[in-house]
Amino acid sequence: MQNFQGTLIDTDVLVIGAGAGGLFAALSAKRNGPPGTRVTLIDAWQAGRCGHTAFSNAWTVVVTPDDDLELITREIIAGNDMVCDQTLVRNTLAASYDRLKDMEAFEMSFAKDEKGQYIRRPTRGLDATRVLYPNGGGLEFSWRMRRGLEAAGVQVLDRIFVTGLMRGANGDGVIGAVGINSRSGDFHVLKARATIVCTNAITFRSGFVRDLTGTGTLLAYKAGAKLRNMEFSYTRPSTPRFYFEGIAFAIQEGARFLNAKGERFMLEYEPKWGDESDVPRIARAMAIEKQKGNDPLYLDMSGVPEEKREYFIQSKVKWMEYFYRKLGKETRTDMFGSAPYYALNQMTKGGVATGAECRSSVPGLLVAGLAQAGACNHFAGFHIGMCIGTGWAAGKSAIEDLQKLAAPKLDAAEVHGLHAETYRERDDAAQALSDQALKNLQQLMFAYDVSVWKRGDRLEKAQRRLEEIKADFAACAAPHTHELVRMKETEAMLLAAELILKASVMRTESRMSHFREDFDARDDKNWLQWIDIHDEHGTPRLSTTPIPTPILAAGEPASKKVQRVVRGAA
Amino acid sequence: MIETIDLPRCTGCGICDIVCPADVIHMTGTPVDSEVPGITTQKLLPVIKFREHCITCFNCEIFCPEKIVDVHPVVKSHPRAW
Repeated sequence: MQNFQGTLIDTDVLVIGAGAGGLFAALSAKRNGPPGTRVTLIDAWQAGRCGHTAFSNAWTVVVTPDDDLELITREIIAGNDMVCDQTLVRNTLAASYDRLKDMEAFEMSFAKDEKGQYIRRPTRGLDATRVLYPNGGGLEFSWRMRRGLEAAGVQVLDRIFVTGLMRGANGDGVIGAVGINSRSGDFHVLKARATIVCTNAITFRSGFVRDLTGTGTLLAYKAGAKLRNMEFSYTRPSTPRFYFEGIAFAIQEGARFLNAKGERFMLEYEPKWGDESDVPRIARAMAIEKQKGNDPLYLDMSGVPEEKREYFIQSKVKWMEYFYRKLGKETRTDMFGSAPYYALNQMTKGGVATGAECRSSVPGLLVAGLAQAGACNHFAGFHIGMCIGTGWAAGKSAIEDLQKLAAPKLDAAEVHGLHAETYRERDDAAQALSDQALKNLQQLMFAYDVSVWKRGDRLEKAQRRLEEIKADFAACAAPHTHELVRMKETEAMLLAAELILKASVMRTESRMSHFREDFDARDDKNWLQWIDIHDEHGTPRLSTTPIPTPILAAGEPASKKVQRVVRGAA
Repeated sequence: MIETIDLPRCTGCGICDIVCPADVIHMTGTPVDSEVPGITTQKLLPVIKFREHCITCFNCEIFCPEKIVDVHPVVKSHPRAW
């Protein structure tokens, strides 16, 4: 074995990824662990300043003691077409008020009215659920959490990009990770008794600021964890010229979706909710309109009253505030006229299969945030809510497991193998060319008739195209660390695309954000099941697991009072 | 996408590099003349190394204490398959 240099970090609980899930996983492990428990939080960039949470408005669903927990739980489950983990949803909601108090203890403030009551707003597609928003948005949220964690004794390490999970000498679980400094490329071994992956959803460099890849989920898959819900690709429509948080509110204030003929097409597709339908239903309707040739499609904000417009321009999200200010008059014209609109924010709802305690099937490996499949949800405000809830649950479970897990023991051969694998694509003489593979992948996976409005033959054609893209990518190499990191991300995205397409072919029905033109109805008789995927010597194996329904049965209305129709039920 | 950093006004604090989530800005040793003739100072200054990978998050501009970073709001890296 060739010698190499590296840094070893030895900890009890390793948390990978510093978004809402990771921040709360680290907090939970520190709070629930006995004094002296070592907790290490790492991020590929600067924890607290980067990632999807930092760039979001960090709205979060909070169930206060006066709310109807049961009703909110049931409407979120029904609204997600029974796909999410019901127990996890309830646990998350039940603990959300305590988590709010944790955040306030870190001097985070939430918008309140003149009477000192929290300002709470409804979110698209839900009746009883209310969201709260922290002042300063995601940047403030993430930074205050980071500083709070450091004060509590959590080791926070920036710029460590994880390239593999370790199984160790005993080989029966995960004992940490290996990675590189995302600038210098220096090798790191992170030995841990429990490892929590919190690396966000899988996307193809999408998200608010096109920064998401979901690499950690795929590393967990390669380390033996089962993935679930890969077919529920969620495509969030937006405008190509500007993006703003608060489309749900804009619609409440009079914004409308229009097609090229000026028709309010959402009324035809979703008579009950119209423009206030949940996001996947809007994406579906838009895809069908596109197929009919009724595009371009628009978000018409001209109906938003003049006095309410400033609210949307003065974003609470810092990067959007800069964005609007710099676009100036153009934004105002575009925003409150008819802005072309299409689905461009693809985010896979798939992740690692865990129970409600966020343990994966691999001992020592826990998963939280959007890297976790039970968080299969598309409601604004409940993404952060679920990340907070799963992060807390994973941190608590990790502490419980510390007593049961064998002491981690490094396996020199494995570390050497992971080191070789990490630097496999490095070649000083190469040219950085992987962007082309990424562009081709995006073109394939964002296509409206593959990502939103699916059909068997089109999915199979996409699978063949994916093989070509993979073959081109295989010839790429990395002349520097910057390209090496991007290549690792692209490699993970290519694998994710393969799994998404396979699961999409298998699910012969339409549910939540998975819509099949050739199976355009929800089929509870055959498909009240999750599709799980595990790696068998490099080949993905698909299987199904019946979805447990301990809280809400299929077809049962979320509320007996509201008598909400479960849309699309077969 | 990041456009410019006004280098003559840059103090070399490195915040723009630290807060960049796309590894676009790299602090790089740059020789500058010092007050003493014949002595060259190595000053760390930001270099926009991978502009094409900028994700227009504005972090560098938001956190620059000297307010000398300019990010243009037009996003060139949007995937546009529709």
